[in-house]
Amino acid sequence: MQLNFAAREVAIKLVYYGPALSGKTTNLKALHELTRTDSRGRLMTLETKDDRTLFFDMLPLVFKAETEGGAMNLRVKVFTVPGQVVHASTRRLVLQGADAVAFIADSQVAETENNAASFLDLRTNLKELGRSMRDVPLVIQFNKRDLPNVRSDAEIDDLARRGKEPVFKASAVHGQGVMESFFGLLERAWRKLDAEHDLTRKLGIQPDEFLAKAASSLGYEGKARMLCDAHVGGSGKGGA
Amino acid sequence: MSEVPPNQDVVGDQPIALEDVVDRDALDDLCKSIHALFGIGVRVYASQGALLANVANELELCRYVNEVPGSRAACGATVIAAKSVAPGDDGEVTHPCFTGLAYHIVSLVHEGRRVGRIVLGPYAPAGLREPPPSLAQADKRLDVARASDLAATVPRVKQEALQRIAGHLKETLELIIFSSHKAWVTSKLHLYSVRESYRELQDKTTRLEQTLTRLKEVDRLKSNFLATMSHELRTPLTSIIGYSEMLAEGIAGELSAEQQEYVRTIHAKGEQLLRLIMGLLDLSKLESGTMSLRQAPAQIGPILKEVITTLAPVARKKEVELALDSDDAPCELAADAERLRQVFINLVDNAVKFTPKGGKVTVRARVTAGAAPSGDDDDEAAGAALLAPLLKQVEVRVSDTGIGIPAAERVKVFEAFYQVDSSSTREYGGTGLGLSIVKRIVDAHGGQVSVEGNEPNGTVFVVVLPSAQTRRAALPSRVPPALA
Ligand SMILES: Nc1nc2c(ncn2[C@@H]2O[C@H](COP(=O)(O)OP(=O)(O)OP(=O)(O)O)[C@@H](O)[C@H]2O)c(=O)[nH]1
Ligand SMILES: Nc1ncnc2c1ncn2[C@@H]1O[C@H](COP(=O)(O)OP(=O)(O)OP(=O)(O)O)[C@@H](O)[C@H]1O
Ligand SMILES: [Mg+2]
Ligand SMILES: [Mg+2]
Repeated sequence: MQLNFAAREVAIKLVYYGPALSGKTTNLKALHELTRTDSRGRLMTLETKDDRTLFFDMLPLVFKAETEGGAMNLRVKVFTVPGQVVHASTRRLVLQGADAVAFIADSQVAETENNAASFLDLRTNLKELGRSMRDVPLVIQFNKRDLPNVRSDAEIDDLARRGKEPVFKASAVHGQGVMESFFGLLERAWRKLDAEHDLTRKLGIQPDEFLAKAASSLGYEGKARMLCDAHVGGSGKGGA
Repeated sequence: MSEVPPNQDVVGDQPIALEDVVDRDALDDLCKSIHALFGIGVRVYASQGALLANVANELELCRYVNEVPGSRAACGATVIAAKSVAPGDDGEVTHPCFTGLAYHIVSLVHEGRRVGRIVLGPYAPAGLREPPPSLAQADKRLDVARASDLAATVPRVKQEALQRIAGHLKETLELIIFSSHKAWVTSKLHLYSVRESYRELQDKTTRLEQTLTRLKEVDRLKSNFLATMSHELRTPLTSIIGYSEMLAEGIAGELSAEQQEYVRTIHAKGEQLLRLIMGLLDLSKLESGTMSLRQAPAQIGPILKEVITTLAPVARKKEVELALDSDDAPCELAADAERLRQVFINLVDNAVKFTPKGGKVTVRARVTAGAAPSGDDDDEAAGAALLAPLLKQVEVRVSDTGIGIPAAERVKVFEAFYQVDSSSTREYGGTGLGLSIVKRIVDAHGGQVSVEGNEPNGTVFVVVLPSAQTRRAALPSRVPPALA
């Protein structure tokens, strides 16, 4: 996070991580489609000709929120990493300075091992950056729910209850579960930053109020709570 | 806040500087085309105020106003204001000029940040009829009537049209900024990934080098150990053999037939053990590369003749026919004659050993045209037609009519201690080291050894040795001779 107190500007970095072809770029494209034009910038994708992410994708979301202390600017940059194994060093670079990570898993049963391998890769990379899973808020998304041969809902619910991260279900190509995952991630990121930097006092805005403002700026007036809560597992309120 | 890590400029949220990102000539061309299309001046400023493009024809009104000191000052103030006035929340503002003309200012936004501004004008707003009082107030000396006439010649622009032009220009420019920024990010990341790959490669190389050094050390220790052990074992063994021989010869008194038999067994086993130790020693020397081959000019003929002479008694005793068939064509080898003799002693010894009574062992030597130096590299295969005549090789085939080696076993027999049929160990004895020594010596001479079947039964061992000249030519040709 970068907090420019004088300009009342907060910049947050969110990273979508996960194995190759799990749908990270698709999530970002959907997020771009599903948010209000005046709150988002251009989607920057750095792809190869066969649609594999080469370096990263990035979507900037920028909006203002009126608070007790005056107007504040919020800048959220959402990055995806390249999932292909060869791009390890790029993943590490993109992960630098991340405030929270959404792990996009592929629901197909055959992808179970790739999901796990990518998760371990995430852990290794965080460690190499001098951070740990503990201090980076994480949400998990099981994507591609529309496909056959996927893990069943009951199985995922069971898996979710065993872990402590909230688990979202999505079908990113159809735009389903995309906003939910995003808000779930934003909430956890914000609560963590609030706890560390006392944003409530410094900026005069409560986390719930912040989320409500963010939702309305992005075109989801009044839906923040509902979106954030559309997950299984996790500690419900999110947070560190 | 957390400290800014390196490369944060690429994957972080650092504001861009318009002047770093946008190509000025391209920007100038774009502004020119807008100016040509609508006749309105276009200026582009970066957020810190640097003028990046300026395309405008001075209006006659402006020229006149600038001739009079009072109004020249007013004009300057207007231009400065247009450069710095803050466009409102919607990023657009119209700034009036004291002459009644106006400037339209639009901010350029990238990733939600204002990174610069476009200033359009001066132009005459559509509703302008009379110059405002401010014109006259600027300087009493100004001829208002004349200024009024000049103002009338300035084309009128509807606010709506102006906003459309400005909006279009803004969109185009923002697209250019986006694309330029993307290209900038891409090139940065390319550099980064090249650097990272290089660093990772270096890490790996260092680790490999360390491993190699360690392995070499281990290997050296192993060879040392073997050599020492062999030596330590050989000394007492020589005594055992010597004393058992003396006993068998009756030097210490006559022995009974039974005693005689025991002593001879001790002697035979001692000899066998000694051969095993010698073989191991040879193998370890060959393996560690410490056995130096004294390569000197040599011909194959004399070597083979000596081998036949040495083994003729063994063959005769076993009633196996042993024949040499050599074309005696000259072909100079760069070889260690003593080692080559060892190769053929081993092969002929095996052939005789594994051929039953009445069989035949033939050693056939031919000088043939050599294959081009091996290597699938085009570079090395080049010029084969020219080089081939120089490239000769010696092919020696040791064939027998013995028990043969099944096709599946033909590669394995060159492994140390490998014997085709473990039950054969009892029948034929031996240690299984002979062929592995053969292979290592042949390899060290740049040659090849292989096994074929013999019709209708038996085995053929084929040894191919390149001539001295061929071996010299086999040096990769892209290495300059000076460095080879
Ligand atoms: N059926 C289905 N296909 C999906 C879904 N999400 C993504 N896909 C498809 O999966 C493929 C890969 O999606 P991407 O978004 O490019 O994957 P990625 O994770 O960015 O992959 P890398 O850039 O290689 O790491 C594409 O063909 C998508 O159309 C989904 O929810 N359902
Ligand atoms: N001419 C041959 N015909 C059939 N089998 C052979 C022949 N030469 C080698 N072999 C097989 O290959 C094995 C390995 O041969 P090698 O010369 O390495 O060992 P060896 O003769 O058994 O023992 P030594 O170490 O005393 O030479 C032999 O044991 C035998 O099974
Ligand atoms: Mg991708
Ligand atoms: Mg042998």
